[in-house]
Amino acid sequence: MFNLRDWGAGIWERSGRPVRVLIALGAIAIAASLPLLGGTFLKTPIADYGSVLVFPVAIFVIMALGLNIVIGKSGLLDLGYVAFFAIGAYTMGILGTKTGLNSWEILPIGIAMAMFAGLILGVPALRLRGDYLAIITLGFGEIVRITALNLNSIGGANGIVGIPTPPTIFGLEYTFDNHRLYFWTFLIIILLTIWMIRRLSVRRAGRAWESIRQDEDAAELMGVPTFKYKIWAFVLGASVGGAAGVLYASKTLFISPDNFTLQVSILILACVVFGGMGNIWGVILGAVILGYLPDRIRFISDARLLVFGAVLVLMMNLRPDGLLPRKKREKALPEKGQS
Amino acid sequence: MSETILKLQNVTMKFGGVVALNDVSFEIKKQEILGLIGPNGAGKTTVFNVITGVYQVTEGDITFEGKSVKGKKRYKITRGGIARTFQNIRLWGDMTALENVITATDTHKKSGLLSGLFGMPVSRREERRDKARAQELLDFIGIGEYADRLAKNLPYGVQRRLEIARALGTEPKLLLLDEPAAGFNPAEKVELAQTIRKIRDAGYTVLLIEHDMSLVMGVSDRVVVVDFGQKIADDLPTKVQNDKRVIEAYLGVPEDAS
Amino acid sequence: MLNNFLDQFATLTVGGLSLGFIYVLIALGYTMVYGVLRMINFANSEVFMYGTFATIIVIRDLFGFTQQSEPATGFRLFYILFLCLVASMLMSGILSILLELVAYRRLRNRGSNKLAPLISAIGMSIVLAEFMRILTDSRYVGSPRVMEKKSLGTFFGAELRLDNTIIIVAGLLLFISLSQFVQRTRLGKAIRAVSMNEDAAKLMGVNLNFVVSGTFLVGGLMTGAAGFFYVLKYENTSFNIGFELGIAAFTAAILGGIGNIKGAFYGGIVLGLLETYASFFLGTQWKAVTVFIVLVVVLYFRPNGVFGEAITQTRA
Repeated sequence: MFNLRDWGAGIWERSGRPVRVLIALGAIAIAASLPLLGGTFLKTPIADYGSVLVFPVAIFVIMALGLNIVIGKSGLLDLGYVAFFAIGAYTMGILGTKTGLNSWEILPIGIAMAMFAGLILGVPALRLRGDYLAIITLGFGEIVRITALNLNSIGGANGIVGIPTPPTIFGLEYTFDNHRLYFWTFLIIILLTIWMIRRLSVRRAGRAWESIRQDEDAAELMGVPTFKYKIWAFVLGASVGGAAGVLYASKTLFISPDNFTLQVSILILACVVFGGMGNIWGVILGAVILGYLPDRIRFISDARLLVFGAVLVLMMNLRPDGLLPRKKREKALPEKGQS
Repeated sequence: MSETILKLQNVTMKFGGVVALNDVSFEIKKQEILGLIGPNGAGKTTVFNVITGVYQVTEGDITFEGKSVKGKKRYKITRGGIARTFQNIRLWGDMTALENVITATDTHKKSGLLSGLFGMPVSRREERRDKARAQELLDFIGIGEYADRLAKNLPYGVQRRLEIARALGTEPKLLLLDEPAAGFNPAEKVELAQTIRKIRDAGYTVLLIEHDMSLVMGVSDRVVVVDFGQKIADDLPTKVQNDKRVIEAYLGVPEDAS
Repeated sequence: MLNNFLDQFATLTVGGLSLGFIYVLIALGYTMVYGVLRMINFANSEVFMYGTFATIIVIRDLFGFTQQSEPATGFRLFYILFLCLVASMLMSGILSILLELVAYRRLRNRGSNKLAPLISAIGMSIVLAEFMRILTDSRYVGSPRVMEKKSLGTFFGAELRLDNTIIIVAGLLLFISLSQFVQRTRLGKAIRAVSMNEDAAKLMGVNLNFVVSGTFLVGGLMTGAAGFFYVLKYENTSFNIGFELGIAAFTAAILGGIGNIKGAFYGGIVLGLLETYASFFLGTQWKAVTVFIVLVVVLYFRPNGVFGEAITQTRA
């Protein structure tokens, strides 16, 4: 069967360095010009296209990339990924409203908080077998949301309002409806994340994760410190989720516990699986489609989640490895991270 | 052949009420090929599992180079110098043969995530060296030309040998082979016997579980026989072959004597 | 507060036990399937939710009860309740079988990646819940009162309310029948055989698809019974109750050791009691948090649950 992923990778591998740079730049240019489009076809019925592109699409892409490290690369089923997103967003919300720090200063703090939470959760949970991990992480996601809901000091059910926008840079002002600027900012974060994941995947860590995903016991018996690498995957995934949370809060300027339900975790998981676990490009594609589509198909309004669920079932039955499955070809991983 | 490398002292392994190993003791000397045989269900693979930390012994002790392996994490035991293959092949199917070996070679090394992330020279250098080492091992085992094939697509015999290469990738001192010749034809068995000797001559010590008597008897320096979880013989191959208890143990299970 | 707690301890215990039995029955749905297929049947929570609606349909549409109706008594009450139980069990049992056919069978037979069936299950769960949401206009659906929740007297200081008593007695009976079923019948033995060693069972001539359908049916029947008990106790339902109850029941199953029938029993009871006591002290909003913290602590010390895994309790 024709495999788009292999076809694309084939072109990539046959090309020399200059061509690769050109391809990469072209792809970035296309991505960057997305918010300049906006004909009637792309318009979504309720929200404006530019805003949909920032949220959910760009945020979903970031989160899906992060969750992909955990699920796609290492095979750890995390059903509470929203927790890290929430922690990032609340860090932004609290520090942004209560201190004078701006978004860029809070970003590393939010990431650190999410990583720390990942560590706290990971150390007990990653000793357990996969199915238990799923339920523990799911519980963790709920705990974070319930805590936010019941702590009145951080807004309780009302959430946090009046979160500041990021400061103006190069004379560009982040106003609420300057979707293009937000999108380009998020695009930079997406590129950084892709760079990080590609770097890691072709090296030692990538192989360790791969061996854990395929046969953890064999990996352990072959001397792979599986626990250490699982923690790393978990914490790195958390860091990306935390970053997404900070960015999200700096865009919507209002957060409440309702934004961080289990449905978010499941949606992001669906992005990863739908697109193709373990393959960055597949995951991005999945996040773009699932981020954009539910808004676009509002015309079947009430039934759109139902359709969404049915699509997941069909998809798993027809293409269980996703739209762009992970590498299946007989070729060693590329020698160096050329991205 | 002098120094003892691995020593099992009065090892007993119980699962609930079932005694899988009962007071088993034996030792392996450096650069020796020790055959471990016994009828089906005698406890051979259990011996491997207690040595590699998959199970914790109920009683007794196992020492490797004078240090007890009891309670040690599995990957640490492997790093300490004991590597194994699996009876039911457990390669990482979606990785290439070469990657299977590199993973065993390098993932336990210190410079890990961060230096890899920033592409530090150390990491690049190690990457290159580990890759070369892995290719060397594939060539050593005689499957070098399969380096870039996915493990799951390899012919059965190559997969078995890749298991050995991967185990050698961990830089072990002691290599545990769990029925490496299962499913092999006579020609392949002869080739395997040569490979095992070659491995020993390269400085490794080998503990071999095998059903094929001619292979075990031909290649081993010494043979330990277990039956019903107990050691019933421990001697030179020629002596073991004529041991009354061993012959008794094998009577009635003709498929094992093939 | 402590004195208050001690005063109410017995009554709280009865309430906790009845909640516990609801958990036990849902947990059996998870545990049976897990034991046989080593898979989390994520959509079992929706199977439960449909069970609750079956009971309400019988009460409201078959017997024409409204909020103003007089509660039934005597034999008529028994008859109505019995029909409700049967309807809920059938609804959930059949739904459960269909679920397996639609969402899992193809994937299982192909033995594809481990996460695919779980995602498929999540998809089914969304479909089922959304379908009911659209049918019910996103509203809570109250159940007309068929039965006066009168007290049957006290027992060691515990007030025995009729609904709680029915749930505890009937729940226990159902659990015992299930254990007997698994121990004694042909299908039950086949289920145990598959859960111990699928390949060996196949070699012995067990029809795997039949056993799997049977497992889903039995799990669904138990889950449906829980749906009936839920409506009896709380007198309402909605399209989204599956999630909360399902998660709690799954926790119960893990607590006892998933795949283990006895484990589901103890896990469910312990969780029901714990949740009831914790709600008393901390308020109901923290009960989910309590449940998960207990779960984490238990798993940390006993990674396979308190009673270990496997449908049979004696696996070497």
